[in-house]
Amino acid sequence: MSSINRQQIADGVYFSCVRDSRFKTMKLSVNLLVPLSADTASEYALLADVLTRSCKAYPDFTALSRKLCALYGADLSVNVSKMGECQLISLAAAGLDDRYALDDDSIAAELSALLCGVIFEPNIVDGAFVPSEVEQERRQLLDTIDAEYSEKRVYAIGKLVELMCEDERFGIPRYGTVENIKAATPQTLVQAWKNLLKTAVIEIIYIGDTRPDKAVEVFRTTLGAMDRQPAALHTEIIREAGEVKRCTEEADVSQAKLVMGFRAGAALPEETIWAEVLMSAVLGGTATSKLFCNVREKQSLCYYCASRYDKRKGILLVDSGVEPQNIEKLERGIMKEIEDIQNGVISDFEMESAKKALTNVYQSSNDSVSGIEAWVGSQLLTDYLTIEEVVAKTNAVTKEEVVEAAKRLQLDTVYVLKNKGGEQS
Amino acid sequence: MKITEIRSERAGDSYFKILHDSGLTVYVYPKEGYRSAYAIIGTKYGSINTCFSLDDGDKITVPDGIAHYLEHKLFESAEGDAFTRYAETGASANAYTSFEKTCYLFSCTDNFDKSLEILLDFVRDPYFTAQTVAKEQGIIGQEIKMYDDSPDWRVMFNMLGCMYHHHPVKIDIAGTVESIAEITAEKLYDCYNVFYNLHNMALCVAGNVTVDQVLAICDRMLKPCEKHEIHNYFEEEPYEIVKPYIEQSFPVMMPLFNLGFKEKAEPMDEKTAAQTDILLSMLASPTSKLYRDLMDANLINNTFSFELFEGPGYCSVIFGGESRAPQQAAEMIKQYIAALKKEGLSREDFEMARKANYGDSVSGLNSVSNIANAIMTHHFSDNEIFTYINAVADTTFEEVSARFEQMLDVNNCVLSVIKPDSEE
Repeated sequence: MSSINRQQIADGVYFSCVRDSRFKTMKLSVNLLVPLSADTASEYALLADVLTRSCKAYPDFTALSRKLCALYGADLSVNVSKMGECQLISLAAAGLDDRYALDDDSIAAELSALLCGVIFEPNIVDGAFVPSEVEQERRQLLDTIDAEYSEKRVYAIGKLVELMCEDERFGIPRYGTVENIKAATPQTLVQAWKNLLKTAVIEIIYIGDTRPDKAVEVFRTTLGAMDRQPAALHTEIIREAGEVKRCTEEADVSQAKLVMGFRAGAALPEETIWAEVLMSAVLGGTATSKLFCNVREKQSLCYYCASRYDKRKGILLVDSGVEPQNIEKLERGIMKEIEDIQNGVISDFEMESAKKALTNVYQSSNDSVSGIEAWVGSQLLTDYLTIEEVVAKTNAVTKEEVVEAAKRLQLDTVYVLKNKGGEQS
Repeated sequence: MKITEIRSERAGDSYFKILHDSGLTVYVYPKEGYRSAYAIIGTKYGSINTCFSLDDGDKITVPDGIAHYLEHKLFESAEGDAFTRYAETGASANAYTSFEKTCYLFSCTDNFDKSLEILLDFVRDPYFTAQTVAKEQGIIGQEIKMYDDSPDWRVMFNMLGCMYHHHPVKIDIAGTVESIAEITAEKLYDCYNVFYNLHNMALCVAGNVTVDQVLAICDRMLKPCEKHEIHNYFEEEPYEIVKPYIEQSFPVMMPLFNLGFKEKAEPMDEKTAAQTDILLSMLASPTSKLYRDLMDANLINNTFSFELFEGPGYCSVIFGGESRAPQQAAEMIKQYIAALKKEGLSREDFEMARKANYGDSVSGLNSVSNIANAIMTHHFSDNEIFTYINAVADTTFEEVSARFEQMLDVNNCVLSVIKPDSEE
């Protein structure tokens, strides 16, 4: 794959550089990792939005947007997510590579400088962010949280995780709580900004053709001069499920949603995760998986029924949309497929096709900027593995190991969303 | 067989267009240094083609949603389904049906030749029986219900229903649970035999491939196809909308809206498309005064977007997103457009929007899936992608101003709102 040069440039700060001339764009992303905490998640989420709204050099939203537009429609983006029990705040700048500019514009250098400005020189006046800017972003973040209820598949998965992990930090939503978002002030956000730069483990990823030397220097000097105290990052892995928790919610929907959450009994950095990944693919990761072939195609119960494994938290989720009167049948159908794997009912074809499908996904990721970024990003906080190494690990998994992986699964929580009053839809 | 190379100095890329002896138009866009390849074959046949005839034959009317149903069923053959065959090559396969086309695709990093053979084979080998057709009712029924619960989908179709008197673009791509119940194996064959003629189709391949490689497989897999005249029938669509407002209560907490302007539906060349895209960025991208005003008045959030929505016989501009006050947001958009039509556009805005659109269109050439899909879309509207990119770079302020005159009639638009059911 494209060669990656990862170096430490300050205390808890790493810079990964992928020089690649195949793409017409460049991307620089700064990934800040902090422990996921109910006390700080909301402020960090709001802060990330406020930071990318304006900065010292472009002190209002329109000025900043116009600058990006003039740089050939460059993007300045923010993404807040959970990575295990860390909150990951990603700030990124992406744009056209200099070679394709219509004039002699130096897009990569300008964008890198802009991103540094957004992170290190925010629009702070008299020890506070500009109140009207904060209010705008607060309103929109609260909208985003309300909007999570709109897409029911996403909502149902979110609810399952919240319920299943209610006593763990993983149960904290990525944006924290509405109350804490409302409680943040232009002053407290400045403190949050300082804490974030002081305590986050920072992974910077650059992908592009132009050398990123200038950006590296800015990060090295600015972060090097700070009194950095990078936080210890840890994810609690729970292996025993206990009694199955069940929750049913009602809404005026035509299709019911079923989400089943399992403790997978394997998580990073254990080597057993590779068997777990493959088992999840055999179960419900491809169009030849057991759930697709049997629950969808043979029983015609649903349009989608998929399995996903989170190797950082060590949980596996299966989700589907179904007629309300078929919920129990669907749940039995899903359990039957898992039991089959536990009993070794796995064909060579199922093993091979899952391996090939995963190999294809891994190998394809090297052909796009977003794919490379996701690859590097997926390995944060662990020893770096190349695509070839992961392909080799995947293909080395035996049927017996897949059986063992399935045997480790313990059903923890079942969440159902269905129409109100009875089972007619 | 005619092979044409199409080059772009600006983008630094080139690709090949081949009129294959079978009747199929083939595009090959090699990407140096890529490991993966992406192939897509499409027919100019989508959800809107529900009334048609072949040559001098009788007019045939088929149930809503049949193009999409056919897409699902084409994966099956007497020997099994195509997914099983792809599983041996490791390719990731899929398909989709839109208003005006149906496409089958795969991407792979190994075994490209074998995967392309599978694609060309199953698309040329329909196998529909009463039993296999019946089996799909439950699956597609759940797909339809999934979309019934999607507020983004509903807000758009409610809008289209108020915009179009007759045009079938207002009907859900997958049809309804009732309409798909009327689909039979025989009807699927009727549609297949008309539209899945290689003269009505195109193949686009991008990535780690060569022209020779693709043509060798086409030569082996495709027999020459007789050319036929396909006639599609659409009722005459008036210029005027049906009604200006519709709302629906929905299980959401965040209301959302679509404000759609009905436009004259005429085939759009690259220049007109470029002018329109630049114009819309000038009006409503985050750099615009409109966006700023809407934000400052708390009428939109960062989900606000705009789109040129056009195809055979339909054309509209849609502004939409979440809003706590959709009526006020729509009113502000209409007033802004009306005022700007009097005052005229800004040259500075134009220059920025031109650059941004140019940057976006060149950036799209990074990804093999983007490239292949974009070429397919351009092919079916008789356009070409590099011509479009050049048109964006060369568009003038005067052209965009003239385009603005012809578009966005504030007296011919529809507001569609999805509101929380708690507000009833």
